[in-house]
Amino acid sequence: MEFNRSLSLSLGIELELQLVRAHDRDLAHEAGDLIERLARQKVPGEVKPEVTLSMIELNSTIQSSYSGALAELEAQRAAVAEAAGVLNLGICGGGAHPFHDWTERRVYPAERFKQVTQRYGYLAKQFTVFGEHIHLGCTDGDEAVYLTHMLTRYMPHFIALSASSPFYQGEDTAFQSSRLTAVSAFPLSGHMPFVPDWAAFLEYYDSMRGFGIVEGMKDFYWDIRPKPEFGTIEIRVCDTPLTVRRAALLAGYAQALAGWLLEERTRAPSAAVYQVNAFNRFEACRFGCAGQLVDPYARRKIVIGADILDTAAAIMPQATRLGCVDAVRELAEGVRRGYSDAGWLRERLAATGSLPDVVREVSALWARA
Amino acid sequence: MQELSWFLPSWPPAFGELVLFGALLVAGLLGGELAQRFASLPRVTGYVLVGFACGPHALGLVEGPLFAGARVFVDLALGLIVFELGHRFDLDWLSRNRWLAVAAVGESVGAFCAIYAGLVYFDYSPLLAACAAAVGTATSPAVVMVVAHELRASGQITERMLLFTAVNCVFAYVALTLLLPFLHLEHAAGGRSAILHPLYLLAGAGLLGFAGSQLLLGIAKWLGKREDRQFILLIALVVLVVGCARALNLPVVVALLVLGMLARNLDYDHALLPLRFGHAGQLLFVVLFVLSGASIDFSGLETVALVTAVFVVVRFLGKAIAILALGRLSGLRAGGAGLLSLSLLPMSGLAVVMVYDTAALYPRFGAELAAVVLSAVALLELIGPLATQFALKRAGETQPEPRAADTRLET
Repeated sequence: MEFNRSLSLSLGIELELQLVRAHDRDLAHEAGDLIERLARQKVPGEVKPEVTLSMIELNSTIQSSYSGALAELEAQRAAVAEAAGVLNLGICGGGAHPFHDWTERRVYPAERFKQVTQRYGYLAKQFTVFGEHIHLGCTDGDEAVYLTHMLTRYMPHFIALSASSPFYQGEDTAFQSSRLTAVSAFPLSGHMPFVPDWAAFLEYYDSMRGFGIVEGMKDFYWDIRPKPEFGTIEIRVCDTPLTVRRAALLAGYAQALAGWLLEERTRAPSAAVYQVNAFNRFEACRFGCAGQLVDPYARRKIVIGADILDTAAAIMPQATRLGCVDAVRELAEGVRRGYSDAGWLRERLAATGSLPDVVREVSALWARA
Repeated sequence: MQELSWFLPSWPPAFGELVLFGALLVAGLLGGELAQRFASLPRVTGYVLVGFACGPHALGLVEGPLFAGARVFVDLALGLIVFELGHRFDLDWLSRNRWLAVAAVGESVGAFCAIYAGLVYFDYSPLLAACAAAVGTATSPAVVMVVAHELRASGQITERMLLFTAVNCVFAYVALTLLLPFLHLEHAAGGRSAILHPLYLLAGAGLLGFAGSQLLLGIAKWLGKREDRQFILLIALVVLVVGCARALNLPVVVALLVLGMLARNLDYDHALLPLRFGHAGQLLFVVLFVLSGASIDFSGLETVALVTAVFVVVRFLGKAIAILALGRLSGLRAGGAGLLSLSLLPMSGLAVVMVYDTAALYPRFGAELAAVVLSAVALLELIGPLATQFALKRAGETQPEPRAADTRLET
């Protein structure tokens, strides 16, 4: 398996979005109609179907900065919102639909998706959750392995900053992000093994293929995984934020952080990161920025929000170099104010009194932003 | 024996309407299940067939007093359905998609013109042809709504079917009402009543619906977002509006459609929760369709077979041509226009009511109108649900019934 070289720290964003119907704000099944409609016009990047008919995915092209990605996402947003309006559909950000019934989900009629349903049964339908995937370009496989190990320490940041799935199946889960729990049910979820370099990774990959457990990289549902055909690593822990703007900000933060990790190299990858990973991940999902993470290097606990602010200050020089100062600043400012998408959703529920109203406001927010 | 007779019933016991009504429900329920399980027919068709079999034109088990006794259930069932249909009418959608509004009105106009032309061609008087065309424009709200519920349908064809049905029902009523002056003049009624009668009907129903919607929204706002409370409120308001419309001689269906439409589109505070029929709704649907089946009368069919066939065919063509012409512009996917036209085929009790309302004014004219329309209604009462079911299934917008063991994992 060849690792295709790409420009270091180039960016790509995939956004999974919810389709909701107007009359009761439950998930719609009209991805086919919407995509047919969008196929007839020129939209930058790509709009794709996903495993259920209630979901579409926006893909950006390869970008060098978050602001380019933001401009492209904005253009996509406008086109999708316009087409959805004609069909009376709402488009929503957020990691999960607040009250849909998973047994109602219908699978998009394509062979790969049918196989997934065959194999995973109810997990496939319960997996109606919506994430943002951030791609970061790497020059080679070794860089990808290094960045994967180093970024794992910071995954709680991405979980906390993107968390937008506090409600699931009509209930307040008490989590900031309930979505990641749905991912954990799959047998190949989790993280990459602690391998020293790309050659060692290939050895592991070949043995997994030899066992017949995986056919390709797409079978690993890891939090961060190398994507050799794109020449990237892919951060997959983020809930889809409520606005495309926040999605782009997160990509900017990822870029600055990765730039800093590549440049400074003050720490070496450590297996201890994976030892504390499950604890850190839970804290971030459950409590967001108010959770605690264990820093395996400093061997102490620190509040996630405070750790984000420290990190934001540390990476600022790299952010300046890469043109994403504003992104890092805006996210840090939100952390200082105690803002989170999940918190906003809870506040809207308190104000309106019903989840269908929350969904209406979420789709209005997405269309306007 | 003599001393026991004070507590034993007389023989044979006088089974009242309640027993008959219960028995009819059981029969309807079984008929619906049989139709669905063994013939893949819509349950609605099963209900209608059972009703027809028990009705005055077949076995004669269901007659006068039972009809009267069940009237309240029928009113409630139809009321809820028509209200929900109105509540699906989304002005925001029409303002974002103007072609959709054009297509919806075009569909009504197409059906009206096609039927009118067809009947005039067969030498019916223009007035009769126009009245029959007005009645024929409407799709049965009950059938499309109940079939959509039964199949758990959701998608563009389903949404448009419901929207177009709401529009063509309003169109049909308004057209028929606007024809009243001609009817009055032809029957030498005074000029004043020729003008004031239709005005009273339309304005009255509109005002009643508006008043009902304001009451509904006001109380709902005060109650808060509680599904159970809002459900009771909704039923209460529907019954209230039906009752008032009857007392004031106003068209019940128009009043309820207006109630539903305004409750949706004037709900600026989003006070109303999305409505859901529970099992109570299902019960009402069985009653509604069994009784509407009981009123099916094929006795006149032989004499008007040709006209009936023409009526059914041109009505479909009129709807289909308009939708084919305008569907694509309104954002309908390729191949959707035919399915949407097919889904709009059903006619039912609504048409019967319109005919009877006219007959109540001018019995002779009413009888002529009935002769033209009612055989077509009888036919479409049976074929219509099949067409709707076929269209929604073919459109891929239905959800199979939940089965106990649906997730067989690969081993």
